[in-house]
Amino acid sequence: MSVLLTLPIAVWSFLMFAHFWEPNRAGQIAIVMTAVFMIAMFYMMMRTRTTYRWRRWFFVAMGLLFPVGFIHTVIAMRGTMGIPIEEMIAGRTPFCFLPIPLLILPAALTKTVVFPGSILPGTGMAGAGMAAMAGMWLAMTIVVGKGWCSYLCFFGGIEEGMASVAKRAKLKKIDTRWRYGPWAVLLAMVLLSLALFDSVYCMWLCPFKAVSEYVAARNTLGMVQNGIFIMLFASLVIVLPFLTKKRTQCAFFCPFGAFQSIFNKTSVFDVKIDKTRCSPCVLCKTACPTMSLTDESIAQGETLMSCMKCGACVDVCPKDAAVWHIKGTDVASNPERARLLLLYGAWGMAIMFGGTIIAGGLATILHVFIK
Amino acid sequence: MTVRAKFGYTAAGMTVCVALLVPFVLMGAFTKGIAGLGLHVDEMYSGGPKVRTIQAAGYTIDIHRPVYPHLLQLEKPFVQLDWKPVSALPSHVSDVVDVDGDGQPDIRVSFDVPKDAKAALRVNVEALNPRYEAMQNVGKEKFSRLIVRGDDAILVRIPLARR
Repeated sequence: MSVLLTLPIAVWSFLMFAHFWEPNRAGQIAIVMTAVFMIAMFYMMMRTRTTYRWRRWFFVAMGLLFPVGFIHTVIAMRGTMGIPIEEMIAGRTPFCFLPIPLLILPAALTKTVVFPGSILPGTGMAGAGMAAMAGMWLAMTIVVGKGWCSYLCFFGGIEEGMASVAKRAKLKKIDTRWRYGPWAVLLAMVLLSLALFDSVYCMWLCPFKAVSEYVAARNTLGMVQNGIFIMLFASLVIVLPFLTKKRTQCAFFCPFGAFQSIFNKTSVFDVKIDKTRCSPCVLCKTACPTMSLTDESIAQGETLMSCMKCGACVDVCPKDAAVWHIKGTDVASNPERARLLLLYGAWGMAIMFGGTIIAGGLATILHVFIK
Repeated sequence: MTVRAKFGYTAAGMTVCVALLVPFVLMGAFTKGIAGLGLHVDEMYSGGPKVRTIQAAGYTIDIHRPVYPHLLQLEKPFVQLDWKPVSALPSHVSDVVDVDGDGQPDIRVSFDVPKDAKAALRVNVEALNPRYEAMQNVGKEKFSRLIVRGDDAILVRIPLARR
């Protein structure tokens, strides 16, 4: 049965990876390895009826291999991870999805994109352009909603990996008010981006600049900016996930994650707590990496809107009370069917987006050994 | 099965169908849609549209429309001039430029053009019209005050005096 359920994903993998087939041997090996890995992870999800730990292998691999491929490309093209001002003027700053919510208001009010990239495909690191990234985000968000943060974000894997290192959380008491952090950062960044007409988050607060590209430190200001990036990365992505076993950057800081939470309202899939089965032991609350379960929400049988459908709570529940759910249906009615439908969409997108990132990073490493 | 449940399952099935369409139809359609919105990159980065070209000895100087900062943007207004092609520029450029096209010289711009494409550039600008700010030995300090290499061009941005 598990093999049969995995078959559509295997076909999809073949279609997607055939599209990205590379002429060189290292690239080909990387693509085959990635395809096998993605299919194997899905098969294990079907076979074990668990989601989180297999998804996590993929997610961490994507988080670790994205910087490998990206930094290699940046260094090969520019010779440095710092963005020189002339590259910004030429519109060759690569655009990721994180600033999308911050650019909407300036674009809506003045038709101006406050980011030094290229709207259409451009040369160098401009790549496919900002319209392509925004188009991809929109299309994939329709499918996965807030699940973006569990299946498609190529930054979250690093902290998810760090959160998995320690066996037990060393820092257990976390003030629940930190959960509002992403919304506060989102509001502040939207207003500041509009007022200053600048992609303020990218210029000042993005922790992932430390593992992608940063502002070229031309002066003291540039040094301060880079110092902030490194400090935020070290604390929110490395140290705090290790201490708390939570995805602290996602849970307490990421403005894109907060924005993406809105799409939990439009998505047909969610996670519910079956109150007839719940004891409540609150293991789900402890396991949730983004603190999207509280005593109150468990009592109501709901997750908070920040739930990113990673499946940690579902897998850990000893009573099968935390369940995958399709809106409109009974909570107890066939959660496995809901999980399967969610995973077909989400894993399909993960193969298409994350799979190419993993294959790219692997190919970069393999190039060292295979000519 | 209730009507709500039927709707739920239909929507879930449709989501899977939409996923199938993402790489073949939707991504391209949304990308085209966004590209067709008529958005443009902030002129503080792009330098604004070119309005005039001056023919010099073997090379041209493109003059862009002045760029004014938005409400709280932390830059001065500036005008961008492009010297191109780089291969046709002498080793030292010194040009008097009529930026606003009124027939009167506005600025004198002088800079060296090193053969090494990676060598740092420095520019001096003498303001012959008080509307423009002079610059002494400026590299790439700010978006409104710089000299950099572009694609086969040398770009100089001269700040405008506040009116």
